[in-house]
Amino acid sequence: MSATAIARKDFEDAVRSRMVWSVMGVFVFLMALVAVSAATDDLSGTEPTEIIVTVTNIGGLLFVPIVALLVGYMAIVGERESGSLRLLFGLSHGRRDVFVGKFASRLGVIALATLLVGAIAVGTGLALFDTVPLGTFLAYAGLTVLLGMAFTAIAVGVSGIATSRMQAMAGAIGSYVVFTLVWHPIVAGVHYLLEGSLPGLEAPEWYFLLLRLNPLEAYLQVSSELAGQFIWGIVGMQGIVEDVPEESLQEPDALMLSNRVGGELPFYLQDWFAVVVLAVWIAVPLLVGYWRFVRADLN
Amino acid sequence: MTAIETTGLTKRYGEQTALEDLSLTVESGEVFGFLGPNGAGKTTTIDLLLDFVRPTDGSATVLGYDAHAETDAVRDRVGILPDGFDLWERSSGYRHLEFALESKEGTESPDALLERVGLDRDDAERPVGDYSKGMRQRLAMAMAVVGDPDLLILDEPSGGLDPHGIRTFREIIREEAADGTTVFFSSHVLGQVAAVCDRVAILDDGELVTVDTIEGLRERSGVGSRLIVDTPNTGLDATILTGIDGVTDVTADGDQVRISYANPAVKAPVIHRLVESGVSVLDFEIEEATLEDLFAAFTGSDGDPSRNRPEATAETERVGTPAIDGGAAAPEAVERDAEVGR
Repeated sequence: MSATAIARKDFEDAVRSRMVWSVMGVFVFLMALVAVSAATDDLSGTEPTEIIVTVTNIGGLLFVPIVALLVGYMAIVGERESGSLRLLFGLSHGRRDVFVGKFASRLGVIALATLLVGAIAVGTGLALFDTVPLGTFLAYAGLTVLLGMAFTAIAVGVSGIATSRMQAMAGAIGSYVVFTLVWHPIVAGVHYLLEGSLPGLEAPEWYFLLLRLNPLEAYLQVSSELAGQFIWGIVGMQGIVEDVPEESLQEPDALMLSNRVGGELPFYLQDWFAVVVLAVWIAVPLLVGYWRFVRADLN
Repeated sequence: MTAIETTGLTKRYGEQTALEDLSLTVESGEVFGFLGPNGAGKTTTIDLLLDFVRPTDGSATVLGYDAHAETDAVRDRVGILPDGFDLWERSSGYRHLEFALESKEGTESPDALLERVGLDRDDAERPVGDYSKGMRQRLAMAMAVVGDPDLLILDEPSGGLDPHGIRTFREIIREEAADGTTVFFSSHVLGQVAAVCDRVAILDDGELVTVDTIEGLRERSGVGSRLIVDTPNTGLDATILTGIDGVTDVTADGDQVRISYANPAVKAPVIHRLVESGVSVLDFEIEEATLEDLFAAFTGSDGDPSRNRPEATAETERVGTPAIDGGAAAPEAVERDAEVGR
């Protein structure tokens, strides 16, 4: 009850944030550019799922995490720093109400943003192609919502732990940098230490497991499966920290997970496990953030 | 029943002590002043009462509930006007009141609340991002009294308020108190506290200095009233007056001489002595002791460097005044000040 009141109040404020809408505007503009340029091409040899590739890159790997972190990182520490948390306490709300209400509200904003991403994907598909594999697109939209939830959880969790705006900002930016720039080189480094070489085209199963514990990588791999083709991340780490033959880099579908692991995929490399990874990235940051927040001195 | 009871309440941040061994009882229905300079530990105490921070040692109950273990019950019955807060800039004044009414399950009408704190309905339609500090303070006060709390905690409520707003707040405090609400009024502005409070606690540097009624404090501190004499003669030799029994302090400042006394009967001898010494007395007036004087006497701190610390008249009256100067230091201080005045 109390958390609902906070969530509703906070959602009103959050959706009125100009920053969120300008970031969304930039995304819609980018997608429009891509759609217009695609519309002028000959699309006879192209599958509608190509759209997933584009949306994954601009929407999933860039837009959704950044909006989620932007929307979420001030959720709690902002109230704490400004003193309005005392006001909330005076209005009979407790720490749990604040944390739950804030997360729910920010999640609502992200769900809106992610559904926008999904709607744009479907809309572009309908505009450019006669038929669209709706099931695949819905699964993709659901996956993207999960990704949005994970980054909202990370941002709100960080916001619950941070004692100042700067700390929260550092945590939010830091987490994105780690997932996009640091994670893959570190895992490749672990491979180098254990195996004495950088991972090649074929690599041990645990290597791919460590990679997909990164929520962005988990998302990317499932997106690839849904699109039926390999999707490059924002930084093509395969060409940098992996020892993959040049011709494979030219023929990226060779980099699909199923082509890089010999034999049948173990359960933890199947698609559903990536969904579990995303779910863990929702639960763990929230629990840690909550655990720290309810025990903290809040002044 | 007690509204607030703290037992050995202590809060340390590393080496820093914010509050040391605070034992305090506020009775139900009281208007209780919590007085101290900035950084004395007032807000820390309030934070501890609301489970905003956790004590290093000791405990507190609010309205009979444990401040930590039963904080939900505490928060449901308490209204707070915090010191230094942001409102939700993009929401209107009305939306803030709606939120407060919903949160506290209050039945007041928003317009009645606005009227109580002196806010216009037109202003309440606007987003609070446009509000002045005083308007924010009024809106927050309206939110604090929603749902008729049993305990109203006000932390530096007069910040940003004009005199009219201060009067409005005073009225609200009196109305709430008449209604049976306990008011815990924290301030560093002593006149504010004296105007409404039944009892006052003085906090300094994290420690409780004393608790008493305003009159009790006046008596115990030995701070007397002052006689202010207008004279064209500058460079007065203060010692001609300090010799009079009952005069506690003499300060010459330009064409004014301020004589503090503990015994009202010394006024005539003082004027007489001045005239006798060839000092012409143009006019004189009597200034009642202010709470500032009391405060200085009890904490040894003095916000106004042009003024001497009031000196206690007898050793027994200086109980709980650790930092006050001994009597021997007083004449020197007088001389120093007299020189400054020249």
